[in-house]
Amino acid sequence: MSVPTAPLFTVPGPSRPTAADRIYRLLLRAYPPVFRAEYGREMTQLFRDQCRAGDASSIGFWMIALWDVAQSAPALRVDAWRARGCESTRTLGETMKLVAMLTVLLGMFGALSSVAEGVAGGRQGFGGTFLIAVVLGAVAGALLLVAGVAALRGTPSARQMASRAALASLVVFLLARLVFGWMSIFSQLVGIALPLAILAVLRAPRWRAGAV
Amino acid sequence: MTKDKGATGRPESHLPLAPATFEILLALVDGERHGYVIMKEVAERTEGAVRLGPGTLYGALKRLLEGGLVEEGGERADPELGDERRRYYRLTKFGLRVARAEARRLEEMVRAARRKKLIGAELA
Repeated sequence: MSVPTAPLFTVPGPSRPTAADRIYRLLLRAYPPVFRAEYGREMTQLFRDQCRAGDASSIGFWMIALWDVAQSAPALRVDAWRARGCESTRTLGETMKLVAMLTVLLGMFGALSSVAEGVAGGRQGFGGTFLIAVVLGAVAGALLLVAGVAALRGTPSARQMASRAALASLVVFLLARLVFGWMSIFSQLVGIALPLAILAVLRAPRWRAGAV
Repeated sequence: MTKDKGATGRPESHLPLAPATFEILLALVDGERHGYVIMKEVAERTEGAVRLGPGTLYGALKRLLEGGLVEEGGERADPELGDERRRYYRLTKFGLRVARAEARRLEEMVRAARRKKLIGAELA
């Protein structure tokens, strides 16, 4: 879906960061810090080149960008863990970051795909129940996104907010599932398992004691 | 390629290469390139079938650098893309040997497919 004019996403030049730049820099947090320090500037530069060549205001463009991050970041995180010899004291913190990162990506992906489904369903004349489920799905995705961002911040108050947002996302998702029965297994896995995973990691004893 | 095997191993020890990795090496055969040119060349050569995003591209380049297949060729601006400085990458001699070994492996597979008449049967 393309938006005719979207000044937020235009690329005026190398010196001024755009909204797309800022979003991409947030996505870069999914990568290990060492990798980010080495290649972050080049990746942002390449992303800007892609923005110039493509349509940064389209959902398709962002789906591809998210897919690239989802595909490459976990493997690089695993590489980084191996390089550090899987230090056990940091495992929980890293697990938290991985879950939070997945939550951010899949929350954003869920919210965007709900909007895309809503648009497609609206064109095909689906009824009110479907649209309510789509709106609830988008809200659940946005709440997951909030939970992931809060968990990545890592302060005690942010972790509390992450717990609440994950719980709210789970409730809203289950409501959507009740309103509209048909839902893909992938959506159900993401909508149910991810909030539960983030709640489980946030409630782990060492995490509650404040160790990162 | 899953881990750093260093530039001293046999080229065959790096095979088979992941498709995206081989595409990057192919793009670097003609000379040094920066990330955006590699990405564009791969997309054009494969007619869009292989699209390397920044994460995939730099993740692969990092492993290629660690394996000694690729080296950095300095930083400079690309006149066609403005005055931002860009890091260039180039194949090492060892990287070229690995790329050749992979090309030979693929060629042998294509020959086997022809012998089995999976392809080229319409010409026979």
